[in-house]
Order: sequence, then C-alpha cells, then structure tokens
Amino acid sequence: MRRLARPTVILLALAFLIGCLAVLLTANTGNAAINPQVSEPTPEGMQIEESNSTAPIVSNQVCLGCHSQPGLTMTLENGDVLDLTVNPDTYAASIHGQDGYACVQCHTNLGNYPHPAFKAADLRDVTLQLTNVCDRCHSGEYNLTMDSVHAAAQAAGIREAAVCTDCHGSHDVRQWTDQNTHEILSSARLSIPTTCAKCHNAIYQKYSTSVHGAALTQEGNTDVPTCIDCHGVHNIGNPTTTAFRLKSPELCASCHTNPAIMDKYGISTDVLNTYVADFHGTTVTLFEKQSPDSPTNKPVCYDCHGIHDISRVDDPQTGIQMQQNLLVRCKVCHPDATSNFPSAWMSHYIPSPQHYSLVYYVNLFYKFFIPLVLGGMVVLVSMDVGHSVYVKARRRKPRPTAPKPMETVNPPLDEQPSASSSLASELAPAEAEQQGEQPPSQAEQPPENPPAASEDTPGEEVTHG
Amino acid sequence: MKNQNVPTPTSSSPGVKLVRTFPRFSASQRWEHAVLLLCVAVLLATGLPQKYNTTAWSQAIISTPARLATLQLIHHIAALVLTALVLYHLGTAIYMMARRKLSGEMLPAWQDVKDAWHMLLYLVYIKKQKPAFGKYNFEQKATYWFLFFTIAIMLISGYIMWFPVVVTRLLPGGVIPAAILAHSTEAMVTLIFIVLFHFYHVHLERLNLSIFSGWLNEEDMRTYHAMEYNRLVSTPRADPPPGDKQV
Repeated sequence: MRRLARPTVILLALAFLIGCLAVLLTANTGNAAINPQVSEPTPEGMQIEESNSTAPIVSNQVCLGCHSQPGLTMTLENGDVLDLTVNPDTYAASIHGQDGYACVQCHTNLGNYPHPAFKAADLRDVTLQLTNVCDRCHSGEYNLTMDSVHAAAQAAGIREAAVCTDCHGSHDVRQWTDQNTHEILSSARLSIPTTCAKCHNAIYQKYSTSVHGAALTQEGNTDVPTCIDCHGVHNIGNPTTTAFRLKSPELCASCHTNPAIMDKYGISTDVLNTYVADFHGTTVTLFEKQSPDSPTNKPVCYDCHGIHDISRVDDPQTGIQMQQNLLVRCKVCHPDATSNFPSAWMSHYIPSPQHYSLVYYVNLFYKFFIPLVLGGMVVLVSMDVGHSVYVKARRRKPRPTAPKPMETVNPPLDEQPSASSSLASELAPAEAEQQGEQPPSQAEQPPENPPAASEDTPGEEVTHG
Repeated sequence: MKNQNVPTPTSSSPGVKLVRTFPRFSASQRWEHAVLLLCVAVLLATGLPQKYNTTAWSQAIISTPARLATLQLIHHIAALVLTALVLYHLGTAIYMMARRKLSGEMLPAWQDVKDAWHMLLYLVYIKKQKPAFGKYNFEQKATYWFLFFTIAIMLISGYIMWFPVVVTRLLPGGVIPAAILAHSTEAMVTLIFIVLFHFYHVHLERLNLSIFSGWLNEEDMRTYHAMEYNRLVSTPRADPPPGDKQV
C-alpha cells in the first residue's frame, strides 16, 4: 500500500505547487484580464495577456514622466501641431485607466526611448493610424465597423468618416454598457445623439425637435430611440437602400408593438397589424420577404410620420391626425388627392361601429353572407345528389311495380303534344325517360313544326346509335 | 354538332336514331357566356394570388414588384373586357325593352318561389315529381341574378379601388377600404357559388352544354323544361329570334 501511495503523494504535491505558481503569476500581472465588455476573447487579447505575464511592461508612470507635462507637441508634415500631452486624471477616469491598462498596450511601438520615428501627414492621419490598435482587443466590434457605411466611406477616400476614436474618444474612453447585462447604460443613451451630432449636426437639429429627440434631450427619457436604435451601432448600414426601406416598419414596430413601453404613453400597439392589413403595408411586407432589394413606392412608416422630425400625431402644427397635414403626405404619391382622400387610409384604426363603420358593417355582412351562401349551396346540392341516388335506386327495381299507372296516362300525351295542362307537364320527366327507348317514329311530328323552316325552329339531328 | 336540316325520313333505318333539337341560346348569348367565363377565370386567377399574398403558392407567383404589376395589368385588362361585356348585355336589354321585344323569361316571378317550394318538397321526399319548368327554371334564374349582382358589386368596388383619387372627390374616403374589403370578399362568394352551384348543375347533375352548342335535345327539353317544350311543340311561330321569345 505504501509503495503504491508514494508516487501519488508526489504528484499531488507537484500539482499544488504549480497551482500556487499560477495564482501568484496572475496576481502579479494585476488587472491584465481582458475587459469583460469585450464580446469575445480574441487571439490578440490572449497574446497580450501572455506577453504581459512574461515580459516586463513599461509602467504608465514612465510614460507620464514626460507626457503629463503641458507643451509637449510635435509638428506634422502639413504643419499641424499634434499635442502629445496626456492628462493623467483624464486617463485614470477612463475605462481603460480604471482597469489599469498600460499606455504601451495601445501604443505598442513606443516601449523604448528614444521612440521610433513617427510620420503622419496631418492630424487626421494620426487618428487613422492609431485607431487600428483597437482591433487588438476589440476585434468583434472592429470587424462589425468594417461593414459600416463609415468604413465604406473611408475606403472611398473620405477621411472624415468616423473611426473608433471619433465616437469613443481616445484617452477618455468611457464605459457605455452595463458590465453584467451588456445593455447600454441610460447615461450613455443620453450622450449618443450628441456624439453623432459631431458630424451629423443637421440631422441632430431635426431629431432634437422630434417627439423622440425632445423627450430624450429635454426630459432625459431613455425609452425613446436614439440614433443607434434605428441605425445600428458598429455596423451602421446605409439607410437609403431599398432593403432598409422595406425593413423599416419592423424597426419601428420593435418598440411600437411592445406593450411594456407603449402602455406608459397610451400608444396603441396595433400600429403594425393595421399597417400590414392595409394594402400599402401588405405590399411592403410581401416584398420585404420576397425581394428585399426591389424598390417600392408604397409608403412605409416614415413616409407619413417623418424620418428624423417625427412629431406627435396630435401636434397642432405637423400632426398627421389632422387630415390636412396627412393630405400633404398623401400628395407626394397621389398629387391629385383632395380633402376626402386621406380618410381612405384608416389611420391605424380597426374598423368598429365608431371608426370606419362602413367597413365594419361590410365585414359583418359577409360574416353572415358567406356561411349562408356556402351552407345553403352545400345543403341544396347534397339533397339533390341524395335524391337522384334514391331515384336511380328505385328505378332499378322491377318494372311492373312502380311506373305502371303512368304508362296508361302517357299515350294520349304523345299523340297530343298540345296538351299543356299542369298534370301533363308534371308527368313529363317520367315520360321522357321512356321516350328515349322508343323507336324514332316520334320524329314525325304534326305539320305545325316544319323541320326545315329555319334555324330557330326545332331542328333535327341524326345520331347513329 | 350543328343542326342538319335534312328531310324527315319517312322510315328510319335500324340503328339510326333521330333526335330533335330545340334552340336555346342565340349565337350572341353563347359568345357572351364564353367571354364572361374567360373574364371570370382570368380575374380569379390574377386576383386570388393578391388576396392570399401571405401563402406560399401566392408568393411563388408574386415574387417581385414587376410580377405584381403584370398581374395587376392583366387583372385590369380583364376587368375592362368584363365591363364592355356588361355594357353590351345591358345595352341589348335596354334596346329590346325599348322595342317591347325583351322577353320576360329571365325575370324572377312568383312562380319561381312556388317552384322552389315544390322542389324543396320533392327533395325531402314529400312530392313525387319535380316541378315542370319553363325555359329557365328557378335555379337557372337564381344563377343569373346572383352573378348579375355579384358582377355589379365586383365592378363597382373594383373601379373604386382602381381610381381612389377620383372617387374621393365625390365620396368620403371610407368607401375605399370598404370597397377593398367588399371586392376581396365578394370574389370568394362568387367562387364558392360558381364552383358549388353552377358547376354542379351543368356538369354533375347532368352535362348541359347548351350554352356552348346553343341547343338542347328533345329528351332534355321534356325532362327539364316541360312547359317550354309543350309551348314550343304546340304553338307554331314565325321565326322569332332565339333567346328573346315572348312568353
């Protein structure tokens, strides 16, 4: 027993030692763990962690020894002056500073002094060069950004198009999402429109007066959409494509069909249903599924409600609850529309005796009429089928029983076709059945029906049987 | 299958059967029916995919806006043809009415109610015989007038949908959604009626192709239109055009 146990004890002791070493090493490197807000740990991130744990890192104090002093500048090729001073308090307050990231984790090539030569055409060029380092830790977000209109504009040579630091800042990067839920913080929502406004100011001016923007900027209400709720965050798409247009009703509906938000403000959540039920919405929904790239002239939400300047429907100036305000929107596509025309659109109402009573009663009528027609026809036809089956079954029975008395009545009718009493005509069907079996002497009719007179008189046809 | 005006044989050879035929519909009426049939078929074929646009079979047809536009164009053309047909039909009727020549055969009469009641008693095995009918029985009259009003509703609501801007110059806007609803729903009523009632009576109950051939044979005349048969064989007439005979 003892001989067997000894190697096990040694192995356990070794494992314990390795475990202790590992704990010590990670504790030494401090807060090198990746910021939890990064969605996926990336190979680059792992490498940094490893390199941090092995190689000595240049302390921020070393960098700030020079770079905290004001007046440290560098003149770029076009004469722009690059300020090289970093306020230690600003950085310490930023999310990276709070988590103890080192300067050289972003400025990877500046670990030694003297620094290697740095070349930049102008200030914008500095930003564009340095923003690439975000990819090292935040490659998920970085790659999403590569699909955005901003990246496309950069690729097209528009250097003003936003890159990471234009929105997030550089040394003052802030925490914008909740560490646990990864949901965007309310405080961050308030600053989003002003962030976009740095470039898109004209749109911001419209937005800030809209029903959504005013609530956000004046009341601090974060239930309302900010720029990113419609346009997306990193992979901001082109909002002028047909695909965006066809998809837009769903975008609005993501909030406007949510009772948790809408009930607070007494807004109907039937807006999407009623839109889709109308032929405008039907067509848009159909093509959104079928061919999202096909252009359609059918209106989507924002064609009537506005894009960035969405106003309350009961706004006395611009609200489209006022028919004359809606008419302006109608006339974009229906230029000859007159004052009655806007009410052709049921204004998101579900027809009821109060609203659109005509539609309500037409619907009610058919609710009864269709079952009546369908049921009545089915009953009549099935009774008729049942009866003819019954009649055929009876005819197969031996002759002498049933039709005997009729035969006695029939002959005079054959000879005197002018007899048109109700009795004779009632007997006609039974008689006709027998006629088919009789020799064609019947064809010799009284002279009042000359066969060759014209097409209009009863003609004769020869069939070979 | 044309009437052959051959001399009446005094004695028929064995194996040859002579069948007398009676004119029922004029060439004009037969053409009207053919055009109506074609129009209704095209209108249903192009209308139903638009009504049932959420179904897979419909989306296979309406896959692009261009296809929808084509479908609507065909629907509109068929609607115009149907309108022309209705105008011709009404125009002919008014012209004949003005000349006091319009037959009352298709007009609903009290006799039809009595016939329907009689037929109902026959179908529940109370009466032994079907009622004797004139040129058009109550079922045929019901078919005609049902489709008459159905087409009226479809055409009126269709044009309201087609020209909403013009219509709302005179009428309130609410008529547009009402017309859209009526058009879509009445189409289903029409389809149900034609398939269940009309197809049953002309295809299943008995194959009656007189609306295409124009004539009915003697046996069918006696069986289904005994009063008309008796009238035709008893009273000689000086060639009134078919379809507008006076009662």
